[in-house]
Parts: sequence; structure tokens; C-alpha cells
Amino acid sequence: MRLVLVLFFVLAFQTTLFAQLRPFGVAGQMLLLFTACAGVTYGVTVGTITGLIAGLMYDFTLATPIGIGSLALGVVGATAGVYLYLFPNPIWWLRIVAIAVTSALGEIYYPIALAMVGLDGWIQFRLLKIIAIVVVINILFAPVMLIVSRWTLSERKRAT
Amino acid sequence: MATASTNRRRAIILLTISSLFLITLDLQNSTAASGLRSVFGIFFRPVEGLTRVFTRPIGNAWFGITNYNDVLDENSFLRQQIAQQEGATVAAAASVRLSQELLALNGLPTLAGINAVTAQVIGESPTNFSQTIEINQGSESGIRVGMPVLNAAGLIGKITKVFENRSSIMLITDPDFSISIKVVSAGRPATATTISKGTSATTSTAVPQEVSPLLPDSETTTTTTTTIPIAGFTATVTTLPSTPQGVSSITVPKASDLAVRETGALEGQGPSRQPTVRFVDNSVRFGDIEVGVPIVTAGGSRSLAPPDIMIGNVSRVIERLGSAGPLLEIQLVADLSNLSFLRILLYQPITEKK
Repeated sequence: MRLVLVLFFVLAFQTTLFAQLRPFGVAGQMLLLFTACAGVTYGVTVGTITGLIAGLMYDFTLATPIGIGSLALGVVGATAGVYLYLFPNPIWWLRIVAIAVTSALGEIYYPIALAMVGLDGWIQFRLLKIIAIVVVINILFAPVMLIVSRWTLSERKRAT
Repeated sequence: MATASTNRRRAIILLTISSLFLITLDLQNSTAASGLRSVFGIFFRPVEGLTRVFTRPIGNAWFGITNYNDVLDENSFLRQQIAQQEGATVAAAASVRLSQELLALNGLPTLAGINAVTAQVIGESPTNFSQTIEINQGSESGIRVGMPVLNAAGLIGKITKVFENRSSIMLITDPDFSISIKVVSAGRPATATTISKGTSATTSTAVPQEVSPLLPDSETTTTTTTTIPIAGFTATVTTLPSTPQGVSSITVPKASDLAVRETGALEGQGPSRQPTVRFVDNSVRFGDIEVGVPIVTAGGSRSLAPPDIMIGNVSRVIERLGSAGPLLEIQLVADLSNLSFLRILLYQPITEKK
């Protein structure tokens, strides 16, 4: 429940502030960042669930088919969670690196998911620019979002 | 611990299956998917509205920092442009009115006969993989899916999702956008037919962009032909024998006075690329397409928009082998990066009617 409420506000920031502020024409992706933070903090399972829920909520605000963002962010959460298998006791900056890598992959998963349902045309050179800018924005906001995601999912952590 | 793990696995499976199910529903244009969006909107819009109140000053500060000099430059440029346009507008308005009257007299459809709704842009797509914007008018104002959207310059997109008092517009640059268009060319060079005093028919070649007496050495009565330059096209002038009664010459009216049109399909290519036009027949009748010729909507019973809405100009012609015809890159007349007030034509194509 706390997760859904927090995601509501993250989504609201995404559709207002981050949809407006577009450095070099690229919007930062806060839901992607939140999912990556959840994944690198709590592992594959929690990351996947967070991604699926966040993506589903995101889909309801987009014109693309509902479910695509959900699957894409679900895979992002799982990818971020794999990091904990590689580094069980990570240093803080390694988490940031993992978030950056996951953010880059997340920006690739989404157009691939679109292409799989016939909405192609998004896999082009512009994608490199999008990845670069989204990675930079997500690195900048990662420390704050790590705290937010940790607080949001702390109940979940206690349950385990 | 084991129970929590099992529950989480079940949650993942359930959410994944739900996502796949929803994708299928939405791709089939199911009303259930629209209903889910509307229900979500009921809960989400208040939160979004509240967040917008707090984030607007941050956004304004950002734009103040990053765009201040550009805005000053743009402002002075626009003032200059307004001064230039004021005179031209009066003449243009008169021409448009005359054109509308002529079309109405001939019983042809005009844009003036289609009701329109004015709307304001309230949001952009938050994702980097969708070229959509949101406006503050919806089904309450008569807006339906498929209606064409214009700004002062020309066509900018079409309505893709409609809610009670807001709608989504897919911009013309979205890779999923497609519309039938007309390429309006200046026309092919004139073919002048001259009846000569001689007895045999001769054919000579007219060189484009020349104003010259034809066949000055022959026994024919000459006529002057002005040709309109179309690259790669060579017009012919046929000289026919005169009648026994000695009729000196008859000049056939020039077909080139009329604009020649060819249809094709315009497709968006994403925000970083210009839209392209395919399926244009590079026929001899039409002549080669030149850079700068205007592109307008084709209209017709199955088109998404009424005819003759300005879209843009040809910025590049890419020749292709075989029967594929040329590929045209289009410079849009509308500036999609700066949209504020839009006009939605209450024209619903047959293809979108349910």
C-alpha cells in the first residue's frame, strides 16, 4: 500500500516536472530510477514487483498500450536485482553504477517492448542520446531516490 | 520466509499475466482498457494537480535559467515578423475568403464549413518514446478519436484518446502517425500546338525556362510559349499542317497554368527526424518533385483529415530505384516544440467512426 501511494507521487512528479524539464529534449525517468533503486537495494523479486506495479501505473498515463511499461520496468527491476547476486555487500558508489547501468538498459527495454507489439520506429540513433541523458539525470537523483525507495519498501524488508 | 517468497512469486506471475492481458485488450481498442485509464485518472489527477502546483515554480525557474536569452532573441524576431506579416495577412485573408466562396459556389467541402474547438496544451508525454501531448478539451466539447488537430500554421496531429474534459494528441512526428497527402507541384511545362502553313507535321523540342519564338526558320506562324521549369522534363512542341483555307495558327491553352497534384502517404519518423512521404508516383505527367513544393492533406472519404490542410514543404527528395518512387522528407510548417493553443476540427473520418 505504501508502495502504491509513494509511486503515485513519483508518477505525479514524472508527468509534471520531469515531463516539462527536458535537458536536450530528453525527459528524466523517475519511475525507472525508483525501480532500479528498489532492485539494487532489495534484490530481484522486490525489484520485479516494484517495476511491474510502477510500470502499470505509468501505462495508465501514457498513450501506448497498457502493460508494455509494466513488463519493461519489471525486467528493469529484475536486472537491477541481479546486482545483489554479484555484490552481496555493495559499496554506495557501486549501487550508483548499478543504477546507471540499469537505467541505460531500461531505456533500451522500453522501445524493444514497443517494437514487439508492432509500435516500431523508436530504435534509432536518438536512443543513444536518450540513454546518455537519462543515465546522467538518474545518477544525480539516485541518492535521494535510494532513500525514498528504502523507506517505501522497508516494511517489505522487515517481512522477510 | 518461504511463504513470503512464494507470495512474491505469485505476485510476479499475476502481474506479468495481467500486463500481457492488458496489452492484448488495449491493442484491440477494448473499451475496458479506456475504462481502466479513466478510473486511474480519477485517483491520479488530483495528486497530479497538487504536484503541479508545487513543481510549477521549479519548472519556471528552470526555463528562466536555460531559455532567457533565447526568449529575448525570439521576441525581437517575432516582433519583426509580425510587422512583415501584417500587410500580407490582409491580402491573404481576402484570397482565402475568395477561395472559400468559390469552393462553396461549386459545392466543394471547405475547412470553413467544419466546426472547430480551441484547446490549450496542458501536458507533454512523460516518456521519451511517445510523441503525444494532452489538451484541456474532451468528449464534452464534441471531440472524438481521429479528429485532426491544427495550430495556426497547419496540421500537427490527431486525437488518439478522449476523456471527459481532456484528450491526447498523437503528433505528426510519431512513428505511428500516417496520413494521406497531396504533393502540389507547379505543373508540367506547356505543350503548345501550332498549325502551320506547311503540309507535314514536325516535332521540335522546347527548352524549359525559355521564352522564345518556336521554329523561326520554318514557314509556320509562330507562337510564344512560356515553360515552367520542372527538372528533368522535356516538353515537345508539335507543329501540324495548316488547313487549306490558310488558317494561320491556333494556340492550345496551357495546361501548366493549373497545379498538378500527386498523392502519397506521410509517416512520422520520431522527433529527431523529419516525416517522410512514400508512395508518390514519379510519373512524367507529374514531373519531378522539387524541394520546396507544398504538402497538403489529400482528403477523401477514408482520409483522417479534410483536404487541403497545410502540412509542410518538401525539404529533400530521395530517389529510389525501381517502381518505389521517390521518398520525400518534409519540413513541417508547424513548430511542434512550441505548442500552446490548438484547433481541433470536429471532422471524424469514416475509418474512426464506431
